[in-house]
Amino acid sequence: MTLKEKIESGKFIVCGEIGPPKSCDGDVIREKSKYFKGIVDAVNITDNQTALVRLSSIASAKILLEEGVEPIMQMTCRDRNRIAIQSDLLGAAALGIHNVLCLTGDYQKFGDQPEAKGVFDLDSIQLIATVAKMNSGFLLSEQEMKKAPNFFIGAAANPFAEPFEMRLIRLHKKVKAGARFIQTQPVFDMDIFTRWMEKVVEMELHEKCTILAGVMPVKSVKALHHMKKEVPGVKINNEYISRLENASDPKEEGIKIAIEMIKTLRKIQGVQGIHIMPVMWESITPVIVNEAGLNGI
Amino acid sequence: MIFDFVTSGKSPISPREKKFSCFMLFFEDVVKVPVFGCQRCGECILSSTAFICSQRCPKRMRNGPCGGTGAGGMCEVYPERKCVWYRIYYRSKLLNRLSLLYKINKIHNWNLEGTSSWLNVFKKRIGAPIWFIRGDKQKVKEILSDDAQRKD
Repeated sequence: MTLKEKIESGKFIVCGEIGPPKSCDGDVIREKSKYFKGIVDAVNITDNQTALVRLSSIASAKILLEEGVEPIMQMTCRDRNRIAIQSDLLGAAALGIHNVLCLTGDYQKFGDQPEAKGVFDLDSIQLIATVAKMNSGFLLSEQEMKKAPNFFIGAAANPFAEPFEMRLIRLHKKVKAGARFIQTQPVFDMDIFTRWMEKVVEMELHEKCTILAGVMPVKSVKALHHMKKEVPGVKINNEYISRLENASDPKEEGIKIAIEMIKTLRKIQGVQGIHIMPVMWESITPVIVNEAGLNGI
Repeated sequence: MIFDFVTSGKSPISPREKKFSCFMLFFEDVVKVPVFGCQRCGECILSSTAFICSQRCPKRMRNGPCGGTGAGGMCEVYPERKCVWYRIYYRSKLLNRLSLLYKINKIHNWNLEGTSSWLNVFKKRIGAPIWFIRGDKQKVKEILSDDAQRKD
């Protein structure tokens, strides 16, 4: 079953995430895919995240397909104009990649080449609309294609950035433009997320798209401090920081927190899945899936 | 439905019109640059962004803030600056223009960059500004319920 079919059947979805290597070594992805095969429903392939050059997301997604893991290809607007975006999408469809996550992309300043030109020809909502239009058989130029792609369109949402209400307006617009599944930023503040989900249910958006809540297992308290200080739009409850600080084995505690979080998230109305995104710690995903009791559901 | 979101005005600008457009732009700049911080995109959406130019955003977002708005509404790229969309949201709320934020703005037509948007409105390349909004809260409700109906 593909991700689309699984979502339509109402199954609880588990997604993983792989960051491609900073080299042309495709074996790194083949190696990492072993952690996910048969364990998660689909795996995100990041597209030069935080503006660092990495193996391209299309090529990585193709490698995953060959390994028997369903990829979700991320597509950002930072590096491509509308011509390159459409051409890359057609290429991805030809290779059999059918899940695409539409993002605006991190600003180039955060990478190791801040002097680069950021393109930002489209923004994420316009990208979603573009993919939806291509699905219907037309390019942006109104030219009809002989064969239309069949993308399953995803988008991201950040319930933790300011202003809270504007985030719901953005979500509404993304769904209206054609997004069918939403992955949220990692949850580190359950109160805000619960409040956000209540509003989503009130607006009936959870019926039109599938909400997958982000879970990020962390190895150390340093990682949390770094996120709180350096990564904008992230809110972290102090409870988690003090728990990790006081733990004798922070790694073990990080896993425990992630599992507790998954159990709480499953109970929230409207959440139809989770998206586990350990940063460069992919090997932990099967452990968490196992211990949270998500195996074989 | 989705088609409306992406197609942008196709009628090309003749060199002669471009000259006239530059002349018009001078007068437009006198008002728009100091008052609204206009960036001369030529496809003005000031009226739906509560009269704050959204093109001052480093990512030139036309449909709302990116996910990087930090604590207190600061921009992720320039932390000393407020996110323009943060300001747009709160001013829209103050002016009762929230329903306009639900509109999906089209992909920017780069042919119109640096041309007079007043002339472009006159030539029907872009939509006319929306000056007054009556019953904003009602309109938001309608937008939300419209979508619920479409699903059925």
